Amino acid sequence: MSQSLRTSPFEEAVGAEYVAEATAGDAIDGVAPRWVVEPGSVKEVVEVLKVAHQRDLTVIGRGLGRHLTLGNPPRRADVIVSLGRMNRVLAYEPADMTVRVQAGCSLVALGSALHENDQWLPLDPPRAPRTTIGGVLATNLAGPLRASQGTARDLLIGIRTVGPDGTVVSGGGKVVKNVAGYDLPKAHVGALGTLGIIVDATFKVRPRPQHEGALEISCSDGAYAAGLALELRDTCEPFWLQIANDGAPPKPWRVIVGAGGRHEEVVAAVESYRATAEARGALSRTVPNAAEVRRDLADASAQLAHVVLKAATLATRVGAWLDVLETAAVRVGATPRFHADLVCGVIRMSIDSGSAENLGELVAELRPRFEDEGGSLIVERATSTQKEGLSEVGGVWGDPGPGLSLMRGLKEAFDPAGRLAPGRYVGGL
Amino acid sequence: MLPPGFAQRMRGLVGTDGVVDRPESLLVYECDGYTLERAAPEAVVLPRTPAEVAQVIRALWKDGVPFVPRGAGTGLSGGTLPVEAPVMVCTSRLQKIESIDIANRRVVAQAGVVNLWVSRAVKDAGLHFAPDPSSQNACTIGGNVAENSGGPHTLKYGVTTNHVLGLELVLPTGEVVQLGGPVEDRPGYDLTGLVVGSEGTLGLVTRATLRLTRVPESYRTFLAVFDSVADASEAVSGIIASGIIPAALEMMDGLILRAVEDAFHAGLPVDAGAVLLIELDGPEAGLPSQSEEVRELCKAQGAVEVRTARDDAERTLLWKARKRAFGAVGRLAPNYCTQDGVVPRTQVPEILRRISATAEKHSLRIGNVFHAGDGNIHPIILFDERNAGEVERVLAAGTEILEACVALGGSVTGEHGIGVEKIAQMPLLFSPEDLHAMATLRSVFDPQRRANPHKLLPDSKVCVEARAPRRQAAM
Repeated sequence: MSQSLRTSPFEEAVGAEYVAEATAGDAIDGVAPRWVVEPGSVKEVVEVLKVAHQRDLTVIGRGLGRHLTLGNPPRRADVIVSLGRMNRVLAYEPADMTVRVQAGCSLVALGSALHENDQWLPLDPPRAPRTTIGGVLATNLAGPLRASQGTARDLLIGIRTVGPDGTVVSGGGKVVKNVAGYDLPKAHVGALGTLGIIVDATFKVRPRPQHEGALEISCSDGAYAAGLALELRDTCEPFWLQIANDGAPPKPWRVIVGAGGRHEEVVAAVESYRATAEARGALSRTVPNAAEVRRDLADASAQLAHVVLKAATLATRVGAWLDVLETAAVRVGATPRFHADLVCGVIRMSIDSGSAENLGELVAELRPRFEDEGGSLIVERATSTQKEGLSEVGGVWGDPGPGLSLMRGLKEAFDPAGRLAPGRYVGGL
Repeated sequence: MLPPGFAQRMRGLVGTDGVVDRPESLLVYECDGYTLERAAPEAVVLPRTPAEVAQVIRALWKDGVPFVPRGAGTGLSGGTLPVEAPVMVCTSRLQKIESIDIANRRVVAQAGVVNLWVSRAVKDAGLHFAPDPSSQNACTIGGNVAENSGGPHTLKYGVTTNHVLGLELVLPTGEVVQLGGPVEDRPGYDLTGLVVGSEGTLGLVTRATLRLTRVPESYRTFLAVFDSVADASEAVSGIIASGIIPAALEMMDGLILRAVEDAFHAGLPVDAGAVLLIELDGPEAGLPSQSEEVRELCKAQGAVEVRTARDDAERTLLWKARKRAFGAVGRLAPNYCTQDGVVPRTQVPEILRRISATAEKHSLRIGNVFHAGDGNIHPIILFDERNAGEVERVLAAGTEILEACVALGGSVTGEHGIGVEKIAQMPLLFSPEDLHAMATLRSVFDPQRRANPHKLLPDSKVCVEARAPRRQAAM
């Protein structure tokens, strides 16, 4: 780091006080950036990207930095563009049920603005209080609420991004229904900032449920839990539905099903779930603090220093895969924990980092079996050393499928010099 | 214009009955539901299978011939009008529902499958395909994907893009790509999401993997009667603000009401200024209290009466009246033109005031039947093409209304698409940089602009001869 602050090329763009030399803590998967720049406006983001463009520097966007473990190690990381100062709610009209917000605004800050009007943006990624709007969009991470509320993809109605040469591009709009032009916002959801730096976004918001309730059922094994969960799904549309195994013997498997809405709706739904469980002879227990349990479940997979594998499959295959995953993890000496969303077919398996030495082997064994069925297995969290061990087996993402050449085309069209988070995404994009 | 022997070669690929090229037979294809502009293609090719679609498009690629994709031709923005594209590739013979997976709530349907067929096929399992455009007994899945179609129930359930998980796309070269699929979360860019709503300009979709949704346990359907459109608009705001999300929240004004009642005898109040058709759905347990609240909210905004559909037959009749309202409008004037715009929900009263001012200014009658809960307006401009200068006034009024939508923070289309109709309005919504980004996206899929050229994006100065407007079909 020979370049001193005084000669930082970004001083003019954002002011000296908002440029810092990067420290060890800013490294992404062991790749150390040179500068951390904190623009305070879209105009400043534009200036920063213009400078990066002129000097051929690579750029990675960052919110609160809680989800930077997702993705392959970047090939280069010269500048971190931190959006922490761009944290305002730009426009909120409760009666329109839309909100426009800057990328650096945290979900919790937005949540409290919406809460005043009994509304919410029903996105619950792990570590939601420390997740920004930009972060939840770039990763498309979601939690238990996804089963009934969808992901950021379903709630996003407009976006503004800054491209690698500083060009500002807006897509979508401000109204809940709009088919004018291509749906550009979709390109950026889950794209890890590889097509542009997200600076603000507009969402549909929803009324908060007046009440929540939940029922927990202990299960003998994962396959039983998945079978029961499938029946619960067909009993009454769940607000959320999770299968969990947090490793504690002797009966670690549980199904927890949530209901939300008016008091009488919640009571009726929980009773119908109880009846379904009882018909199977399973013991159930009403969860007293449903919303809290829901938030804990959202955080569960990311809480510890764990490696997290995320598998995607069909609802009817969840049970069989839980069994396969458990066997495979035990074989490499790990004690796996599971959190699965049956409605969406998503399974998260977390294993102690210490027992994840053979991560590459595990992924090599399991991933092709998921992909053969049209599913996927990604490594959602791992250390940079562990990620290195994945380079022979398709990296953290695996095979993105036959769309890869179009994806490559998209990346080349929007970031021709490959300066936005290079190497982090699928297929080395 | 077509290369010699073209039709013959196409017949070799799709069968002798699969090519239409006699001028009198081509007239059917000279427009879709947007009838203000017309142009017949030189040939229409009707493949029987997705594989034949790919063969046809590969042949067109080799010949250097641009094409227009078409489903049932119910589109309302001229998306299937041939503009410098002599061949139309029609998916109407791709009618197979290829697989139904009830337990996983997935269907794979070919592009020519009619929207309603999907819901019918899974009805006994208590499931349906949620997007329900009013033309759902004619429009196809391929068309729904191209237009990102909506419908009355999108207020609660979302539009087509929220229910499409995968696509088979034939690129303009004839190459076939599978995007997404029944399992969610495949890593990589959301190409499926980009193709939905792309109006056939990125290639031709031959198959779609659709998400099925459970049919609600119960419904309550209300008809709230108001003296004025203003009162009804306030009630819409009141309901939305109360935290209730109705499955549908539709408005019809007095002009439309009378036409609909004449046509269907649904017992609608012909003296009313406006009615709201409000539907709540979900588990039975939550409906009584929500119903009571909706009634109270309507009364508080001056509803003179709130009727409840007593049974399924009454509910069906009310929905029939709503979904066929456009057809009934034919009783009011020799011609009509339907617009599609969106405003933020709170601006519904304002846009209705402006529409009424526009009607007065141009001496036109304009009726309103629309998705009030979404702020998605559908003004219907009545006219008689035989009157000198009236068509010009209709077009001017339409443009004024769309400009007002944009000025109020909305959009020029909520569900009908840009097609050829609204290309001129795209710059009202998007900057040159935004439009350039869209053109860039297109170039990734179709660098030579072979798929549905001159649609959606203002890319050139091509003009289509504007012909006398006739009837405009239902939305």
